[in-house]
Amino acid sequence: MNDLVQLTVDEDRCIGVGQCELLEPEVFCLSDEDTISRVVDGAVLDRARALAVVEGCPNMAISVKA
Amino acid sequence: MDRRASPADIATSSVYLDGIPHEGFTAIRETEGLVWHPYGPIGDGNGERNGFWAVARHADVREVSRNPEVFSSAVGHTNLWDLEADALEARRSLIDSDAPDHTRLRRVVSRAFTPRNTRNWEGMAREIAAELVDAFVAGGGGDWVAQVAAPLPIRVILAILGVPLEDADYLVELTNHLVEGTGDGPSLPDDAYGNTTPTRLLPFNSPASHALFEYAERMRQLRLADPGADLVSGLLEAEADGERLSANEYRNFFQLLVFAGNETTRTAMVHGALAFAEHPEQWAELCHDPSLITRAVDEVIRWATPVLHMRRTASCDTELAGTSIAAGDKVVMWYAAANRDPTVFEDPFRFDVTRVENPHFAFGGGGPHFCLGAFLARMEIQVLLEEMVARNVVLQPRSAPVHLASNFVHGVASLDLGVAS
Repeated sequence: MNDLVQLTVDEDRCIGVGQCELLEPEVFCLSDEDTISRVVDGAVLDRARALAVVEGCPNMAISVKA
Repeated sequence: MDRRASPADIATSSVYLDGIPHEGFTAIRETEGLVWHPYGPIGDGNGERNGFWAVARHADVREVSRNPEVFSSAVGHTNLWDLEADALEARRSLIDSDAPDHTRLRRVVSRAFTPRNTRNWEGMAREIAAELVDAFVAGGGGDWVAQVAAPLPIRVILAILGVPLEDADYLVELTNHLVEGTGDGPSLPDDAYGNTTPTRLLPFNSPASHALFEYAERMRQLRLADPGADLVSGLLEAEADGERLSANEYRNFFQLLVFAGNETTRTAMVHGALAFAEHPEQWAELCHDPSLITRAVDEVIRWATPVLHMRRTASCDTELAGTSIAAGDKVVMWYAAANRDPTVFEDPFRFDVTRVENPHFAFGGGGPHFCLGAFLARMEIQVLLEEMVARNVVLQPRSAPVHLASNFVHGVASLDLGVAS
């Protein structure tokens, strides 16, 4: 079964690369003001895709919410 | 202290006249722990002391890259040679800084290079690529570097910066001199371009940096008087943490963007074209199945590895791969070696556009210094290949590439290619 998880972005680490928004445009949105990625309210992903986006962030700014 | 000596010379720039010394890198990768590599003028007695830890395995490059608190970009700088404190400050750019300075500077420019915003430049890049490829084919081939690989990326980065396109050739000339600055000897007299600054205070020790700084200043005056939507105006307007970029930060930024925005992508396009010319079955495969394009782009980038290394400096005593590293030691990540690591890449010396698992480090091994222009470079290489596929252009090798004597950029001065009729 799909195990759905929530993700969180460490705003101090985020350097606005945009890899997350490219991989999961429904979940992540880079702010037009400060180019920091934020998770769309209530967005969830299945665990495999979540781990791919966690690994995909070059600066390790994304983690799965406990 | 006993340090394991490097089994091969990977630092002397002239070694690279024959291409990347892959056999040497393989020997280093296969040596247990890390090896210590001498660096500096041969015979001055300091080569051993000024040496560096050579990091060649994929996992170790990743470790260094992702631990910037231990492996600093700001304690030393990111090139191999040593700098005095005043030179380090004069030359400090985004690339030679750590958080929080790095985060502040990076956020000034990151927006221009996100995947979403990179798409805004795709149509323009495609038009330029089409025009250059058509001219190359019409001429029956020639120097791929001068005719296609150099003009495409410089025109794109200049458009993003808002710099007049008619200055492209001059700026390519200047950044070429910067690459030469990573070679074993000076390529220009110290007073070239009217330079009066001691070259040790200039990026790449090159008087061409003086010319780039002067150019940056002229662009600054122009955009202060007449701001636009371009990136130079953006740099000048940037309020990073409430402070504008200093004059020094601005000119180093400008220099970095012009350099990195053209030398690296050019190099990928050169090695990509050569790889397809030498492996026509790979080109046929891509033409047969254009959906392979994104894999092909990353394979071109892995194959080319335009930037061969970046240096870090240990900020504290630490350990990597079972080897003790002392605070202040240089630690050099050799992307060229990591991208041929057989524990990560199946058959790493095979150019394969169908490669699925391709976690190459041509944009760095992750961490805060991940290549700012990664998506821009991918987009430019993709549109170039797509325009070539659309025209069924088949490149043919005519003579060996003329490599640069640089241990830093995998550069090619010229590459004569033919076109199959």
